[in-house]
Amino acid sequence: MKGILKIFSATLLLIFSLSSCSDFEEINTKPDAFTSDEVSAKYFLTGIQIELYAPNRYPYWRAQLIHADRFAGMFTFGFNGCWWNDGLAYSYSGGYTDAAYDWMASYVSKLSVYQNFVKEGGDLENENFYAIGLIMKGLYYQMYTDTFGMVPYTEASNPDIITPKFDTQEEIYKGVIADLDRAMEIIGSQTETGTGVELLTGNDLFFNGDLQKWKKMANTLKLRMALRAQGATGAGFADAVINEALSSPLLTDEGDNALLPKDIEISQWANAAYGDVWHNFGGRGSKWKVGKTVVDYLRDNNDPRLPHYAEPIIGGEVTFTKPSEGSGVALFDKYVSFILGELDNAGVSYTREDSADQVKINVSDEQPYYVGQPTRLNGDIYPHVKYELFSAPAEWVVNPKNSGEPIFPEVVMTAAEGNFLQAEAIVKGLGSGDAQTYYQNGIAEAMKIWNVGQDEIDNFLANEDMALLNGTMEENLEKIAIQRWLASYTDGFEAWAIVRDTGYPKELANGVSDYDIYSAGTLNGEYPQRMRYGNQEYNTNGANLEAALQIQGPDEQGTELWWAPNN
Amino acid sequence: MGKKLFILFGLMFLSFNQNIIAQEQTVTGTVTDGESGLPLPGVTVIEKGTSNGVATDFDGNYSITAPADAVLVFSMLGYGTQEIALEGRTTLDLVLSVDAQALDEVVVTSLGITREKKSLGYAVTELESEEVNTVKNYNVASSLVGKVAGLVVNQSSGVGSGSRITIRGNNTLTGNNQALIVVDGIPIDASGTESGGSIYNSTVTGGGITDINPADIESVSVLKGPNAAALYGSRAASGVILITTKKGTKGRGLGISINSNISIEEPMFLPEFQNEYGQGVNGAPYADLANFGGSSWGSRLDGSEQLYYTGEQRPYTAQPNNVEDFFENGIQSINTLSMDKGGEDYSLRFSYTNNATTSIIPNSELQSHNFNLRGVVDLSDKMSLDSKATYFTQELNNRVNLGTEGVLAYVYRMPRNVRIDDLKKYKPSLWADPQMFEDEYGSISYAGQNKSIGNPYWMLNEDTNDERRDRFLGFTKLNYEFTDWLSAFARVGGDVTNIRSDYIQDYGHHFFYDGRLSLSTRKNTEINADFLFTADKDLTDKLNLVANVGGSLSKRTFETMNVSGSQFRLPSRSFLNNTNVQSSSHTPLGVKKINSLYGSFSFSYDDLMYLDLTARNDWSSTLSEDNRSYFYPSVSYSLLVDRFIDPDKDIFNLLKLRASWAEVGNDTGVYQLYQTFSVPQDGYLGLTVLEGPSVKLNPNLKPESVTSTEIGLEFNMFMNRLYGELSLYDITTTDMIYNVPVPFATGYSTFKENIGEVQNQGIEVMIGGVPVRTENFRWDISANFSKNENKLIELIEGLDYTVLNSLGGLSIRAEVGGGIGDIYGSTWKTNENGERLVNAEGFPLAAGEREKLGNAQPDWIGGLTNNLTYKNWNLRFLIDGRFGGEIYSATSSYLDAAGVSERSLQYRGEGIVVDAINEETGEPNTASITAQEYWGSYSGITSNYIYDQTNVRLREFALTYRFPGDFTDSIGLNAASIGLIGRNLFFLYKDAEDIDPDSSIGTGLSGQGISLNNAPTIRSLGVNVNIKF
Repeated sequence: MKGILKIFSATLLLIFSLSSCSDFEEINTKPDAFTSDEVSAKYFLTGIQIELYAPNRYPYWRAQLIHADRFAGMFTFGFNGCWWNDGLAYSYSGGYTDAAYDWMASYVSKLSVYQNFVKEGGDLENENFYAIGLIMKGLYYQMYTDTFGMVPYTEASNPDIITPKFDTQEEIYKGVIADLDRAMEIIGSQTETGTGVELLTGNDLFFNGDLQKWKKMANTLKLRMALRAQGATGAGFADAVINEALSSPLLTDEGDNALLPKDIEISQWANAAYGDVWHNFGGRGSKWKVGKTVVDYLRDNNDPRLPHYAEPIIGGEVTFTKPSEGSGVALFDKYVSFILGELDNAGVSYTREDSADQVKINVSDEQPYYVGQPTRLNGDIYPHVKYELFSAPAEWVVNPKNSGEPIFPEVVMTAAEGNFLQAEAIVKGLGSGDAQTYYQNGIAEAMKIWNVGQDEIDNFLANEDMALLNGTMEENLEKIAIQRWLASYTDGFEAWAIVRDTGYPKELANGVSDYDIYSAGTLNGEYPQRMRYGNQEYNTNGANLEAALQIQGPDEQGTELWWAPNN
Repeated sequence: MGKKLFILFGLMFLSFNQNIIAQEQTVTGTVTDGESGLPLPGVTVIEKGTSNGVATDFDGNYSITAPADAVLVFSMLGYGTQEIALEGRTTLDLVLSVDAQALDEVVVTSLGITREKKSLGYAVTELESEEVNTVKNYNVASSLVGKVAGLVVNQSSGVGSGSRITIRGNNTLTGNNQALIVVDGIPIDASGTESGGSIYNSTVTGGGITDINPADIESVSVLKGPNAAALYGSRAASGVILITTKKGTKGRGLGISINSNISIEEPMFLPEFQNEYGQGVNGAPYADLANFGGSSWGSRLDGSEQLYYTGEQRPYTAQPNNVEDFFENGIQSINTLSMDKGGEDYSLRFSYTNNATTSIIPNSELQSHNFNLRGVVDLSDKMSLDSKATYFTQELNNRVNLGTEGVLAYVYRMPRNVRIDDLKKYKPSLWADPQMFEDEYGSISYAGQNKSIGNPYWMLNEDTNDERRDRFLGFTKLNYEFTDWLSAFARVGGDVTNIRSDYIQDYGHHFFYDGRLSLSTRKNTEINADFLFTADKDLTDKLNLVANVGGSLSKRTFETMNVSGSQFRLPSRSFLNNTNVQSSSHTPLGVKKINSLYGSFSFSYDDLMYLDLTARNDWSSTLSEDNRSYFYPSVSYSLLVDRFIDPDKDIFNLLKLRASWAEVGNDTGVYQLYQTFSVPQDGYLGLTVLEGPSVKLNPNLKPESVTSTEIGLEFNMFMNRLYGELSLYDITTTDMIYNVPVPFATGYSTFKENIGEVQNQGIEVMIGGVPVRTENFRWDISANFSKNENKLIELIEGLDYTVLNSLGGLSIRAEVGGGIGDIYGSTWKTNENGERLVNAEGFPLAAGEREKLGNAQPDWIGGLTNNLTYKNWNLRFLIDGRFGGEIYSATSSYLDAAGVSERSLQYRGEGIVVDAINEETGEPNTASITAQEYWGSYSGITSNYIYDQTNVRLREFALTYRFPGDFTDSIGLNAASIGLIGRNLFFLYKDAEDIDPDSSIGTGLSGQGISLNNAPTIRSLGVNVNIKF
């Protein structure tokens, strides 16, 4: 008996000793990941570049397309067969807002992983990489605060502060400008980040590692922000900053453009392009049209960019059918004349045939017509907003991935912007030089990005009133604003900020009031001034958020930001 | 492996032929009750050492054929067992006496140790085989509902989906709130039991208990909370469901039984639809095809010719049954063959169960096969071997996804004039004018081609959502009895699960037009090796000690592989190599080990009081060296008060007071300690792109701690005529390991921390009895009620709540001061005077702030089981209910927005000027809006769709007829019965409209409190046949 007990116990002891805790560390080490001593900072730089301008399809759709591009008047839903009517997002939508907020607010984590690597004392310490990080941080915070208003800034990126306070836009603007100055100071006259593994080239999708171009972009961003801040309460610092910026190199020449090339061979869910959405539902549901304001400014000024921005309308025979009953009966005539009014405005030639319950038109196919779709049309007029009668975005904008077709790059910061900003500063009396030259250079640079031919550019600059700063100061500022806004096509966040900051184009900034045709939304017809904060922020940082609202005003889309002209 | 099994089967079949039939004679007699002198029906009479047996009829008479030298064994629950040698007699009458000892219920407790229930200092509920097996469901969890106080089962819906089983409330935020499933002493892998919850497309998988064959279950013991489960360690913090499976009986000869259970299934109920207005918008039918949508805001269905979604003109008439007609009759057919044989020193049992269930949803079905072999052999008079091997394979075709994009989203919202048969013809070539379609692969639905509205038939017939599970469960256990007081066993158990999932959205899918697929395999394994020494010794005359000391090694592994592709090159076939863009992912083998040592010491004094002490130490590989070892103890005590107040047992057969305290630690998953950087799938322009983690990991994680205190009382009066149980408990969880959501500005989205405190306090009552017991009639009744209050005491400094799920204005939260599963949502926006607001156009406005609207956990649950026996007839039925608790019916909100619900008939035609204040002007509203506009806005306000979960239903029903012994004898059977069975027959009360409040969108914490296009709850009615040879 004792013998068996011994054998029994010995066996158990053996089993246990064979499987002691000695391999616990090993089996609990993740096999499919890297530790910080195995990686290089440049891989993270590529990540923070694409994440800010080409995030995955979910935020690209919900933040960029549904909010920014539409609020900017560039794109519009709400034609017959579209998945949404164009009131979308003018009524606050928690789901879409959260998608936008979560993407933009969480970007800071990717940024801080990079910055922590390359900062002084970091695992991959490199001052030049750090300077690039500061400029990325500036690009990010300008976009982020201009979309939402006050956000955590001074206490951000510090994991020891679990509930960081919100900073005013004034503080953020000042902080970013200081960071940009610091970055420019670090870069000095250097052109490369370093040698060996520290040499940045292809992983920098903007400038292929050229530090002097980074420096110009920093300075251009500084000028953009100072001009935007100028005139706001407490923005007395702006004039001096503008002065500084004007005396240093800005992005002005064709080679200076910071454009993010699209990867056209990845899945439609990663690093999105418009085409991922456009081609998604297989039909009209996920498509959209170019806004009336854009098309009108281009067409009315003989702007050669028109066919590069938009497709001609499909046209053909189109029938408006009067509903047999219901609320749509009384307004049928108003709707039809509104839509036909848009055709008339665009100079479209068509024949019209009326019967008891139908209006049938036949669009002439003699020439291509461009018609923009009015922004914020409501659900009642939706059946009459015919797909065939409004211009779609150009194929270059909405080509699908994996089809071999090229896709227009993401606009980060352009040489056009550097020129326009100088023109604006000069017109405002904050700088010296020939405003019109800068203005025309800006237009030319903006057109080149879209592959407009030099002769067409020259022709436009020579013949169009729009190309001349020949009016009053306010008229000239309006033209500059319109051109900056037009140049920001597909860069909805900046285009929307321009409308809010300058009040131009007036057609957008004035909002809507005829609710037979337009959607009032939770904005009650007003132009959207910001987006509401995401629920994640309420859920995790509620007290600081409430404190921010005490300063900024209620968390509504209609609350104006610090730099808004009326604020 | 296969070969060995084959040989074993062969041996079994050979052994059937070895039955030697001696000279037989017929023995008859009458059995009477020693107390009342009345005849005793239902006494089992067995020829010892064989499976030959009969039962007494309602006059207490029996007749059995047995050899002249046989020994007959007479037994009946509650009475003493008697063995009588025949010695050639052909008549044998017998008086059976109630055995007070026999009233002592024996239950299975931790580590599979069988204990007298009266000695336990904590609550255990045991269900016998027939209680889970009569009204059968392939998911055993469904058969536990309403039968155990404190146990809440939340169903999802659709065949093959799992259930959420919580005992005494949600203990933690990590999601590990479900009871541990232990089969024959070995914990099984339960991956897949926390699933679903996605608002868009919620796939609710099964796993764990759903893979256990109900027919193999001998008993189910529910160990409630840490007190009962202390010895199972980390994973038992939320209680244990201990399943003991059947084995053969030694010395009983050959037995064969066949059980066949077939039921017809249909939706128990459907939402109430309107049948007055048809497809259209703003009070008119859709005017042209491009304009077609899915809503039913058209004009009155007057039979006029109108444009139909096919492009034809069709009479505009109501189709009141179109949703109902979509559902088919499902059939659940479960057939079991089991054979057992017991010899002098061995027993063998083999069973095979086949389950073929076709869903009420077209083209959705489940097939499973379960093979089980169990053998117990005495190797010597001291050593015995117990082994089991179970192989389970299940094929599930077309699992139904829930959520806003699930197939039922397109069924429930079907316009009221759409003919269901038309939707079956989705290939445009069937239509009169194929020119109107762009190509022949479109999934045309009731809004026309390319409208991103799914055609349910297309989705079910063309898309694929299949799963194949293969699971092997087995163990070998070697027992050794050193002396009459010391024994030991060593055991190795294995559980290997392979899951293959195919998820294909075919070319032409309404969202993914070019199609996509995802094929994945998962392999989970779990190996448990353990040993236990048991000493049972009388220390003095009155003091007895049972000591158990043991240890275990647990190793679990997880591995997944996935390939996915999109854009089928040629549209006609859906396979990987036909996709244009492909990607693959692999989660390398993850290993988690836990080593444990434990012991329990049970003292009993004079059968009067009992003291149990347990202790366990775990070493977990998931925690750092400093924290990986953790110890937890428990103590429980019970006192039989009846010895003092009623020593002669005149009234009380048992009156017990008990108390216990226990602590359990809990570890975490693999790789939760150290920061790393991952490689994302795609890269960019061929460049390597790295990402930092969004979770801040924590090398200092320590184990969670769950502490439980429980007191209780049990009684049994008048020889089992009245019995009951009362428990009060407090379970507190601290140091929860949780991914705490933090503001993004911290640089992370979550921090992994030990945080917070959750408290569950509750009361459980069970009372039962035998109100009537006469010669021919017996009525057993038992009821249970339980109430649990869940409270989140603390999260982390600066954080008041955390969000578990959200949808539009709704969020499901765990909030400090509130509970886990608090439901928050929007209400109608009001001004400072409390008056409702509308916008400039007159539309109802939702407030920006969210208010607390309820909690997803029921306040009370209860069940009432009645069991009536009259002669050979038995009627058993279960009424159960939940009381209190809320649920958000997103289903109802979508029905209203689409204009198909009966509610949406209001304000049609003339429209409505909402009685409210215009937000823009501050003046009373004067703007009229249409019904469509009203319901469109109204349906976006969460508070309008919060329903009380309170419901009471007839959950189970079984009417069984047992054929008399002489009849079964005459046709060569041992026993036979036939029964009519039903489940979910009707509601006695239900508050919620449209939905079943017991059913939610997932089985994880995030799936609680939301119903969103769930499949209808199934009513089933069927037949159960049992035959024993």
